[in-house]
Amino acid sequence: MFKSGTIYSNFTPLVKAPVIGYRISGDDVLNILKKITKKNFSKDHSLIQIVKIYQQDETLLDECSVVYFKSPKSFTGEDVCEIFLHGSPLIASQFEQLLKDLKVSGLRLARNGEFSYRSVLNGKNSLKQAKAINEIISNESFSGLEYNKRLLFDGDIFSGLVPLKEEVINLFSEITASIDFVDDEAFNFNQIKKKIRKFFSNCNNLLQENRTNIEQKNICRIMLVGPVNVGKSTLFNKIIDKDRAIVTNIKGTTRDILSNEFIISSNRFEIFDTAGQRSKQGKIEKYGYKKAQKISTEIDHFFVLIDQNTKKSDISTLFKDFMIHKNYSLIETKSDIYNYKTKNIKINHSFERDKIYQKLKLNSIHRKYVKNKYKKTDLNLEEIEFLERILEYEQDIVNEKDILIIAQLMRNILDDFSFEFGYISSEDVYDRVFSKFCIGK
Amino acid sequence: MFHVEHYDVVVIGAGHAGIEAANISDKYGLKTALITKNYSDLGKLSCNPSIGGVGKTHIASEVDILGGVICKIGDKSAIHYRVLNLSKGPAVWGVRAQIDRDLYSQNMKKFIKSSKIDLIEDEAINIIEKNNKIVGVELSNIGIIKSKAVILTTGTFLNGKIYFGNESQEAGRIGNSSSKALAKFINKNFKTMRLKTGTPPRIYAKSINYDVLEPQISENNGIFLSYFTKQNTNIKINCFITKTNNKTHKIIRDNLDRSAMYSGIIKSQGVRYCPSIEDKITKFGDRNGHNIFLEPEGLNSDLVYPNGISNSLDKKIQLKFLRSIKGLEECEVNQFGYAVEYDSVDPRELKNNFETKKIENFFLAGQINGTTGYEEAAGQGIYAAIHAAIKIKKIKFNEKVFERDNSYIGVLVDDLTKLGVTEPYRMFTSRAENRLKLRTDNSYERFSTVINPKSFNKLEYSLISKNINNEKKIFDRLTQLKYSPNDLMKKNIKVKKDGKVRNGFEVLKFLDPSTDKFKKFFNLTITQKLLTKIYFDSKYDVFYEREKKSYDQLNKNKNMKLTNIDFNKIPSLSKEILEKLNKHKPENLHDAGKISGITPSALFQIVKHKKTKGNKVA
Ligand SMILES: Cc1cc2nc3c(=O)[nH]c(=O)nc-3n(C[C@H](O)[C@H](O)[C@H](O)COP(=O)(O)OP(=O)(O)OC[C@H]3O[C@@H](n4cnc5c(N)ncnc54)[C@H](O)[C@@H]3O)c2cc1C
Ligand SMILES: Nc1nc2c(ncn2[C@@H]2O[C@H](COP(=O)(O)OP(=O)(O)O)[C@@H](O)[C@H]2O)c(=O)[nH]1
Ligand SMILES: [Mg+2]
Repeated sequence: MFKSGTIYSNFTPLVKAPVIGYRISGDDVLNILKKITKKNFSKDHSLIQIVKIYQQDETLLDECSVVYFKSPKSFTGEDVCEIFLHGSPLIASQFEQLLKDLKVSGLRLARNGEFSYRSVLNGKNSLKQAKAINEIISNESFSGLEYNKRLLFDGDIFSGLVPLKEEVINLFSEITASIDFVDDEAFNFNQIKKKIRKFFSNCNNLLQENRTNIEQKNICRIMLVGPVNVGKSTLFNKIIDKDRAIVTNIKGTTRDILSNEFIISSNRFEIFDTAGQRSKQGKIEKYGYKKAQKISTEIDHFFVLIDQNTKKSDISTLFKDFMIHKNYSLIETKSDIYNYKTKNIKINHSFERDKIYQKLKLNSIHRKYVKNKYKKTDLNLEEIEFLERILEYEQDIVNEKDILIIAQLMRNILDDFSFEFGYISSEDVYDRVFSKFCIGK
Repeated sequence: MFHVEHYDVVVIGAGHAGIEAANISDKYGLKTALITKNYSDLGKLSCNPSIGGVGKTHIASEVDILGGVICKIGDKSAIHYRVLNLSKGPAVWGVRAQIDRDLYSQNMKKFIKSSKIDLIEDEAINIIEKNNKIVGVELSNIGIIKSKAVILTTGTFLNGKIYFGNESQEAGRIGNSSSKALAKFINKNFKTMRLKTGTPPRIYAKSINYDVLEPQISENNGIFLSYFTKQNTNIKINCFITKTNNKTHKIIRDNLDRSAMYSGIIKSQGVRYCPSIEDKITKFGDRNGHNIFLEPEGLNSDLVYPNGISNSLDKKIQLKFLRSIKGLEECEVNQFGYAVEYDSVDPRELKNNFETKKIENFFLAGQINGTTGYEEAAGQGIYAAIHAAIKIKKIKFNEKVFERDNSYIGVLVDDLTKLGVTEPYRMFTSRAENRLKLRTDNSYERFSTVINPKSFNKLEYSLISKNINNEKKIFDRLTQLKYSPNDLMKKNIKVKKDGKVRNGFEVLKFLDPSTDKFKKFFNLTITQKLLTKIYFDSKYDVFYEREKKSYDQLNKNKNMKLTNIDFNKIPSLSKEILEKLNKHKPENLHDAGKISGITPSALFQIVKHKKTKGNKVA
């Protein structure tokens, strides 16, 4: 097993929050736990326990939950513990100081990504899986997410590149054999060239298919428009459930454009709040209104908010300014104080968030604008870039007549695949050669 | 003969490794003894009567240009030539010569006798060392002879044991006793392993019905094993091709329990390829048939070597399956096929000059290092002896010629000493990263800095210098000629309109490599041989450059500090390699390259990573 000191790092941001988590991995985990909790964890694999953590001077640092994972049944394959401190950055800093003061040799802050590396080195995860974790965390589209999860949980063999990797090793083996073992078997250069073209066209197909799937639209953009003070920002906040916009009684305080993403039952939305429209606008508001107008071309659906004070002419100005055609819903606000007699959607600020979602029919709107929402993908973004690099060889190889040059370039491709799947050595190639062809006298 | 003198070099074993070692040691002016068990075995071709082929020719040609004898004597004794891969680039042309077995031995004997080498017929039974430094060798009859260096090249003889079916006997090969006393010393001092190989039966020529078989006629395209051979006047023989068939396959399959290799009697490390007919039938039994090349053993020999049916079956079964084959229905066997199992040393016991790490001035070369093949043995013999000479005479020598990027011998040495072997090691051109450069037609160029005039007679040496001068003249003329894209357009050559002025050498790759075209285009006369060479130099130039850049990068970065690098962050390194790097913690790239098991591609990847910070993971 790979060994190189014990490492630690926070795995939640170091900000005020209910908890701040730390992970420690390496040979010294039990030793460290013993020192800071005065308890022996060696028999407590994967049990959550509430324990007291003491500083060097025996004063209490925190009372918190701790889990110990015994090697090799842990994320990194080493001894690991996870500690959930109360979420104060000050406690976190005391905790880090404590670890330093322990003077455990080799104990250090983990480098970026080091836990994943260790998991790779100790065979807990493959290189691809580690990369998949990374993509999952930073992933913004559901289609990619599903694929990366599959890579992570089921392994490399589910990578869409695997068939290509197999194909290229086979191809290279055949090329190798056709050169080194001419008198052992009958090889056909044209056949080989055909297989090479096939390989590149397979690369191309896979790439095209997935590029469209990954780049396909998966987000629905909605915008709130309406006169000043109609309740746009109030609705915006309700939907995103965060104190993001400023809601006041003074007309026109939503000065610039605000947007936020949110997800309801796997549907992604981006919502835009706008400055209100009124006859006399301040400079900044005017700017905000203009900006909203500009973005409006990228908006799928508008929620046009009105109340009893809204004039017909205001509404038609809005439709004109934002180029709204059929893609809108008319919403009457403040139904708690106004009594509407129309069939329009009526809301007010006392509605629960979920009721608002329902009233606004967000899911059916999503369905209307975002089609084929999860096309399955067989590659992630990194792999797409990889394939693009491989395809750069296509012209040179396909147009080449000298098998030796072809072999050289194909070896380069093999080396590139090594970067994805781990090193493919000549011995691996010979394994393939000797199992596919009858070589030797 | 008296053998009480103090030798510079004693070579044990007069096989292909031993002969080359003794010869070059002598050529370097060292007092040399060559010890062999049987005088009659000198340079014996233990297995197939042929030299060369793809990969093997490549090593042999390097031995040739270093002053070795295998190619020259091979050509003298050749009775049939073929060039494999002729339709591909010359980097992989593999000339293969059928050798008259007796002629080869006779020529070899004549050669050794004419040299200053002391040929001693005796059995080496012990190696004498003091304080981990060589003192000499103990021979069974003569006793101890002293020497500054000893090169051991005993092939398959250490604890050799041969098998026919369930029958076995101790022997280095048929007719030769195995070397047990010496094996004791080797096993005590070095890590060894048990390997195996095999040989087919020998058939009486008169018992073969050639009329029904397809002949293979010797080719005559002026390509020989040796750089120095101008012609071969021997009578040429035909080889013949036949095939195994379903009946053959059934006989073999039904009797696998009577094969030494398959019944479990032989337990030593097998190989991934198919050296025996048992393997072929087991792994590829569904084929229509496996080719057998019937190769006459010599002009005056009444024996034929059926290439392709090595086996260790019971003698009766051998006869039965042979007689199921077309043309062999009434064949009579002179010598049955057998498998041989022997001790070989883990080549990682060797430093990269082939001296053992444990005993100074004790060198090992040939099949004893886990290889197979005459050419592979010859390459090691010459390599070990050159390094013995370098050590004893403190010669200044450009070691770069033996790096992987410059020679197949370098590839072989590097593979053996760094990676070790798990099966008998055979050379393939695909083992060389720099294959386009490592050609037989330019070995004189690759080794030019170390060509030793003393290793050649006057005629040979002047041939080398004459050729080098000729080439230089043409090359200089070519590089003086300048062509703009427009000039080339006018001459019907399509190049990019990049405004780049190209010299004649750079333009050469756009032409057909015919001497007429060359004459017409450049107004220069050239031989076809030289044209072919420089044409491919021109064509492969970009690739040399590319490879050279990566090798230069390695060389240039030899001192690259690795102390602050985290190897674990280089995703493409294999786990084994990582473990080694983490264990040895090399200071710099140079030291990393010296760790056993570290491949050049691993080094490239370290450099690449260090330069680009590599792929980022999580
Ligand atoms: C049965 C058999 C089948 C083979 N099949 C193939 C094949 O299919 N393909 C292939 O490429 N190669 C084959 N080979 C291998 C090829 O013959 C060898 O690789 C090559 O000959 C090795 O050369 P060498 O110089 O290392 O040893 P060898 O040529 O074996 O020479 C060893 C020499 O050492 C001498 N010697 C041994 N012990 C002592 C001692 N104690 N004192 C003094 N002298 C000693 C012997 O007399 C002999 O002259 C086969 C070899 C054998 C024996
Ligand atoms: N009674 C009532 N008041 C509301 C409601 N929604 C918003 N308001 C009030 O209307 C005023 C303007 O709201 P705001 O969201 O800033 O309007 P905007 O200009 O359209 O963004 C604020 O004082 C809100 O408290 C509602 O549903 N009922
Ligand atoms: Mg507002």
